[in-house]
Amino acid sequence: MSIEKHITSSCIISNNAVVKNGVKLFENPGVDVAGFLLSVYQYFQFNYPKFYKMDSLSKLGWLASEVLLKDSFDKAAYQPEVVGVVLANANSSLDNDLKYTATIKEVPSPSVFVYTLPNIVIGEISIRNNFKGEHAFFIQEQFDTAFIAQQVNYLLDNDILQACLCGWVDILEQDYKAFLFLVEKKKSEESVVFSEDNLKKIFGS
Amino acid sequence: MEQSVYIAGVGVISGIGNNVAEHLAAFERGEPGMADITLFKSIHQYDRPVAEVKLTDDELIAHTGLSIHNSRTALLSLVAAKEALADAGISNFKELRTGFVSANTVGGMDKSEGFFIDFLADNSKGKLKNVFDHECGSMTETVADQLGISDFMTTISTACSSSANAIFYGARLIKNDILDVVIAGGADALTKFTLNGFNTLMILDKDLCKPFDEHREGLNLGEGAGYVVLVSDKVAQMLKKPVYCTLSGYNNSNDAYHQTASSPDGTGSYLAMKKALKKSGLKPSDIDYINLHGTGTPNNDSAEGTAVKRLFQPDFPPMSSTKSFTGHTLGASGGVEAVFSVLAIRHGLIYPNLRFETQMHEVPFEPETKFQKGKDIKHVMSNSFGFGGNCTSLIFSAV
Repeated sequence: MSIEKHITSSCIISNNAVVKNGVKLFENPGVDVAGFLLSVYQYFQFNYPKFYKMDSLSKLGWLASEVLLKDSFDKAAYQPEVVGVVLANANSSLDNDLKYTATIKEVPSPSVFVYTLPNIVIGEISIRNNFKGEHAFFIQEQFDTAFIAQQVNYLLDNDILQACLCGWVDILEQDYKAFLFLVEKKKSEESVVFSEDNLKKIFGS
Repeated sequence: MEQSVYIAGVGVISGIGNNVAEHLAAFERGEPGMADITLFKSIHQYDRPVAEVKLTDDELIAHTGLSIHNSRTALLSLVAAKEALADAGISNFKELRTGFVSANTVGGMDKSEGFFIDFLADNSKGKLKNVFDHECGSMTETVADQLGISDFMTTISTACSSSANAIFYGARLIKNDILDVVIAGGADALTKFTLNGFNTLMILDKDLCKPFDEHREGLNLGEGAGYVVLVSDKVAQMLKKPVYCTLSGYNNSNDAYHQTASSPDGTGSYLAMKKALKKSGLKPSDIDYINLHGTGTPNNDSAEGTAVKRLFQPDFPPMSSTKSFTGHTLGASGGVEAVFSVLAIRHGLIYPNLRFETQMHEVPFEPETKFQKGKDIKHVMSNSFGFGGNCTSLIFSAV
């Protein structure tokens, strides 16, 4: 049995712009990915030194989660064990795998090596927010809204989670895109119903 | 009140022996299992010692009856699991609710590495039969079939704490009356994947490892498998011989600090040990021996030592790292060392921590360096800490 769930916040980082709940908050055209991600961090005045150690996939997902949750998520309303993360992308950790492979020619870099897994980004988001619920990272060619909706519905319908971050975080060299959704069981002023159609609508925007 | 979970059988294979008896003899002789790599070609053939099981794949196949397409991980798993089950001597095994909870981290990576070389050169080459067994869960299924277990099976893969987590998960299945008997533990074969990965992290010692020594320089990889047979109170009473001990406490806690390193103060290991003690209803002073995780890396031993100091000071029980014999068997280590912990209670053993010379500056204690037997060992703590900060402590207690 499916209970009603709501997308209480969304964040898109793509095309050198950051959009939250449909409103463009920041853009910085004409810089490369590394420069753009750093400019997002600086613009929002995030203070989290570990950001500088992360690979690009983690930076992208972490920034999207910070913007997504900022002023939109009442962390105190949930136990750590009931907030989870379900993400997907097409290129796994390939962006960082290539960078790691380049280091093998000299001395293989331990600090690059430890990011050669896609789900590290979930760890970074969970550590930052003290989320301890279920999490999963899927590799799929395109954002499969039906599949992601099924996963999130299962977790929330069965009370395994009460809130879930879900979406798409993908990067390969200069090509990147992050879409994150915060799904909760309660409505908010700006929320829309969590459904495959609404996921598609926001993802397509 | 929760029902007790008993250990009725043990089985182990590692670089120092192919069964329990050979391990006990190797410990008494003080003979470690490390040597040059022989299982595969590597640029590190002679500069990264490893503790290989001293049986080739062909010998393991002859011993187990599995096929040449099965991973070495499955072969090792079956040897130790069979020994454990035979040791338990449960006459009506088929009539009971039985489970196999087995851990590993490399799955069939050894076979995949062979496949990959031919396949990369020409994608019409390479035998697909050699990659069907790649997935971690495949090891468990293959071995469960051989053991005649079909009621319940699952695979746990949480890096180096995998097998310890498998054992306490198995115990919970019995406590909750879901199963009567669980064979729990894990296996891992040595592969290029793990050798090169750990080498990249710069945590492999070029010589034999020196756990808990001030001048330790890293770990040696090992391989093997270790299983315990967990039984319910009801099954324990039907057995013809006495059980070894109970699993009296367990806990899993996480550092959430770094992908591969422990937090400097060992937060995860401290919490795991402390909460395992609480679960068992014991005080730190009740512990008679700690089988340390003790990998020999600067980071692990410092973090674990700091946590032990915080929890146990001022009186420290005897402790040692048996990885100074077996190397670090990764996903198998929690199972292998659970077997050693159980045997410590049965035979009153303290295992020596080989090659220890200089006390670490951050702790006020030294590991044991001499093999001792006939001691009064009632409670043993076994630590297994994994990448991702995944820390588990198990406590075994005499009945």
